[in-house]
Amino acid sequence: MVQPRIGSRLRSRARRQWIAAAAFVGYWVLWELIARAGIFYEGVIPSSIAILRALYEIAFDRALYLNTAVTAFEVAVAILIGCGCGLAFGLLGGAVRTIGAAYEPYVHYLAPTPKIVFLPVLLLCFGVGFGTKIALGALSAFFPMAIATLAGVRGVDPVLLRVGQSFNLSRLQLAVKIYLPALRAPVLTGLKLGFGFALIGVLLAEIKLSNAGLGFMAIQYYNHFEMAELYALMMIIFLLAGGVNALVDRLTPRRWGR
Amino acid sequence: MRVSTILGLATVAAAAALLELLVASGVLPAYIFVRPSAMLFSIVGLFREEALLERLLVTLGATLLSAAMAVVSGVSLGWALYRCRLLDEVFGTWIAALAAAPLILLYPLFLVVFGRGEPTIIAMAYVASLVAMTLKTRDGLAGVRSVLRAVGASFRVTPAQLFWRIELPAAAPAIFTGIRLALIFALINVIGIEFMINDGGIGGLIADLADRYEVPSMYAAILFVVLASVAFFWATERAERWFNPA
Amino acid sequence: MRKIVLALVLTGLSLASCPVFANDVVKVASAQKGFWDTTILLYGERAGLFKAQGLDLEITWTNGGAETEQAVISGSVDIAAANGILGAIAAHAKGAPVRIIAAESTGVTDLFWYARGDSGLKSFGDLDGKTVGFSSPGSSSNMVALALIAQAHVSAKPVATGGAPGTLTQVMSGQIDVGWAVPPLHFDLIDQGKIRIIGRGSDIAEMRDQTVRVFETNTTTLAAHRDILIRFFRAYQKTLDWAYREPEALVQFAADNKVSLEQAHRARDEFYPQSALALAPISNLDLTVKQAIELKRLSAPLTAEQVRELIDIVYDPRTDK
Repeated sequence: MVQPRIGSRLRSRARRQWIAAAAFVGYWVLWELIARAGIFYEGVIPSSIAILRALYEIAFDRALYLNTAVTAFEVAVAILIGCGCGLAFGLLGGAVRTIGAAYEPYVHYLAPTPKIVFLPVLLLCFGVGFGTKIALGALSAFFPMAIATLAGVRGVDPVLLRVGQSFNLSRLQLAVKIYLPALRAPVLTGLKLGFGFALIGVLLAEIKLSNAGLGFMAIQYYNHFEMAELYALMMIIFLLAGGVNALVDRLTPRRWGR
Repeated sequence: MRVSTILGLATVAAAAALLELLVASGVLPAYIFVRPSAMLFSIVGLFREEALLERLLVTLGATLLSAAMAVVSGVSLGWALYRCRLLDEVFGTWIAALAAAPLILLYPLFLVVFGRGEPTIIAMAYVASLVAMTLKTRDGLAGVRSVLRAVGASFRVTPAQLFWRIELPAAAPAIFTGIRLALIFALINVIGIEFMINDGGIGGLIADLADRYEVPSMYAAILFVVLASVAFFWATERAERWFNPA
Repeated sequence: MRKIVLALVLTGLSLASCPVFANDVVKVASAQKGFWDTTILLYGERAGLFKAQGLDLEITWTNGGAETEQAVISGSVDIAAANGILGAIAAHAKGAPVRIIAAESTGVTDLFWYARGDSGLKSFGDLDGKTVGFSSPGSSSNMVALALIAQAHVSAKPVATGGAPGTLTQVMSGQIDVGWAVPPLHFDLIDQGKIRIIGRGSDIAEMRDQTVRVFETNTTTLAAHRDILIRFFRAYQKTLDWAYREPEALVQFAADNKVSLEQAHRARDEFYPQSALALAPISNLDLTVKQAIELKRLSAPLTAEQVRELIDIVYDPRTDK
C-alpha cells in the first residue's frame, strides 16, 4: 500500500502563509542562537538587531543611492551591449543555419567558463573607469542571451511558419507577426539570466577596483570589519536582484522556463 | 568535415592570425596584448615553472569535493522536499530564490568565517552547487509519472521498494542533470573564488601572474583555464549522455 | 529689439568660444582607502590644496597590487599611488612603460603583528612552532613577516591570511597564532586587552630606511604632463605639512575609520611619522632588488642603466623653494 505524502492535508493558502511566517521566525531564532552562541568570533555573525540597525542607517545614507545608481548604470549598459550582441548572434545563427552550426559549439562550451578570470585583460584594455566593469558584465551577459535566442529561433513552431507562408506573408511580416511573438519568452529568459550574470560580473569588478558602486561599498565595509553593515548591504543587493528577476518573470509567458 | 565546422575553425584561426600580426607589428601594444604563439608557448612554461599540473589538481580536487558534498546533501534534501510537502513549503521557495541569487558575492562573509584558503573556496562552491542539485532532485522525483506509481501500487510494493525501484530510476535523468550542474557550478565558483582571493589552484595562478605582471604567462593561464573549463564541461556532458541515453 | 537679440547672440557665441579656465584633472589610482598614508591625498583634495595648484583629483581605489599597476600601465590613470615597489620594479623589468616618480612610504612603520591577549605570546621570540599571518605572497607584509621571524631566530610558519578583517577572525578563533594589521584597525581591541602587539615593521633594522611603496606614472603622462606631476607633488607636500600641523585631516581620518580622535592621533603619531612619507629619495634599492629576486619578481639585479630609466623623481621638496 503506497503511503500518502506527509502533510498533504495542509493545502489552504492561509495555512501556507502561517507556515511561511513560522519558518521565518524559525530562521530568525536559529540566526540569533548562532550569533550569540560564541561559536564564531564576535561580530562575524552579528545579531539581527545589529543588522537591522545597520540596514536602517544605510537606508538613510545618500551613499547607498549614489552607489546603486552607479552599479545600475554599469549593469544596464552591460546588458545593452552583451544581451544586444547575444540577441543578434542568436537571430543570425537561427536564421542562417550554417552560421548557427559553425559558432554555436563555441558559445555553448565557452558559456560555463568563469568570466572573472578575464578581469586582468579587461583592466589592461579598458582601464579603471566604467569600461572594465561594463566589459565584464557584457561578456557575462552575452552567452545566456545568445543561447536562449538561438534556441528560441530554432524552436518556433514550424506549423506557424507554414501558416504564415500560406498567407503569403513577406519576410518582414513573418518576422513581426510570427518570430517576434514566439521569441518573447526565450528572449525574456535570456534577459533574466543575462541580468543575473551581468550583475555578478559588475559587482565582482567593483570589488576588485572602483571608487563607486555597490561592490565598492561592500569591500569598504569588509576592509573596516563593519560586518553588520556588510550583511545589511548584501540583503539589499539580493533583494534588488530578486526584484528585477520577479519583474522579468511577470513579463515572461508561463510556458517557458518557470 | 562539415562546412560549418570548417567555418568555425577558420574563424578562430583567422582571429588568432590577426592578433598575432597586430601585436608583432606593434599596432597593438605588446605590454597589453600578447601574440597567440607566445601564449601557447607560455603554457608549456607554466607546467615547468608554475607547477600548473599541481594547481590544476588542487582546483579539480576542490571542485570534486564540493560537488560530491552537494550531490549527497542535495539528493537527500531534494528527496525530503519531495516527500514532505510541509518541508517543501517551508524551504522550497527560499532554495528557489537562492538559485537566482548572486551567491558568489557572499565570499567576503565566507572569508571572515572560514579564513582565506581552501575552506572558503570549498564552502562557497558547495553552497552554489547544492541549490541546483536539490531543485533537480525534487523536480525529478515530483515529475515521475503517476502511472508508474500506480503500477507499483498494483504490485503492492513497500515504500522503500517504490523509491528504489520506481521513483529513483525514473528520476535518474533529472538527477544526472543535477549532478552535471553541480559539477559545473562547483568548477565556476572554485576558479572564481581562487581568483578573487588570490589563493589556490589555477584561478589563484592567474591572479598571482597578474600581480607579478607576467603578461604572456597570465594570458597563457587564462587560455588554459578556458580550455580546462571547456574540457570539463564536455566531459560532464558526455558522462550525462552515457548515463542517460534518452 | 533685433539689435539687442543680435548682441546677446554674439555675446553668447564669443563666450562659448573662449577657453574656460578649468583645472587640470589628474586621475589617481590608490590602494586601500582608509589608511592614513593612502587616503591623505583625499583629505588634501577636500581641503582645496590640490585646487590651489590648479588640479582636480579623480581617485579610484583598488585592492592594491596588480590592479593599481595595471591601471597606470593601461594609461587609464595618470598616477598610481601607494603601490608596492616590488610591483613597480617587476613591471618595468618586463617592459611596461612605467616610471617611479616619488617615494610614498619609507620604512615599514605602519605594519604591526598581534596575538590574542590570553595567548601568553609577548614577542616574536615566543613564536617557535607558531603560525604568523601576512596578507598575500609578495606583499610588504610578507617580506616583513619573514624578516621578523628571521630576526627572532624562531621556526615560525608564515601563512597567507588575506585582508586584515579575515586575519583578525582567524587569530581570535585560534586558526593562526599571530595576525597582521595596520592602524587604526583593532585599536579598540588593543585597548581592551583582547589582543596585544608583539612585533612591528619598525623592529626590522635593515628595512628602516627602505622605500617600500612608491608613486608611479606611465611614460606618456611623464613626457606630456611633467609640469602637472610637479604641481601634484607640490600640492601633496603641502598636504603632508598641513595634515601633520592642523587637526582637520585627523578628524576626517577618525570619522572615516569610526575611531576616536585619540586613537586617530595614536595611529598617526606612533605609526606614521611624517619622515616616513617623504617624497624623496628612493632608499635602499639594493635591498629591494635582493627581495625582488628572492620572490621571483626579478631574474637578475638591475643594471645602472635600468635604475636610471626606472626612477625619475619629478619633485624633491628638499630642493624646491
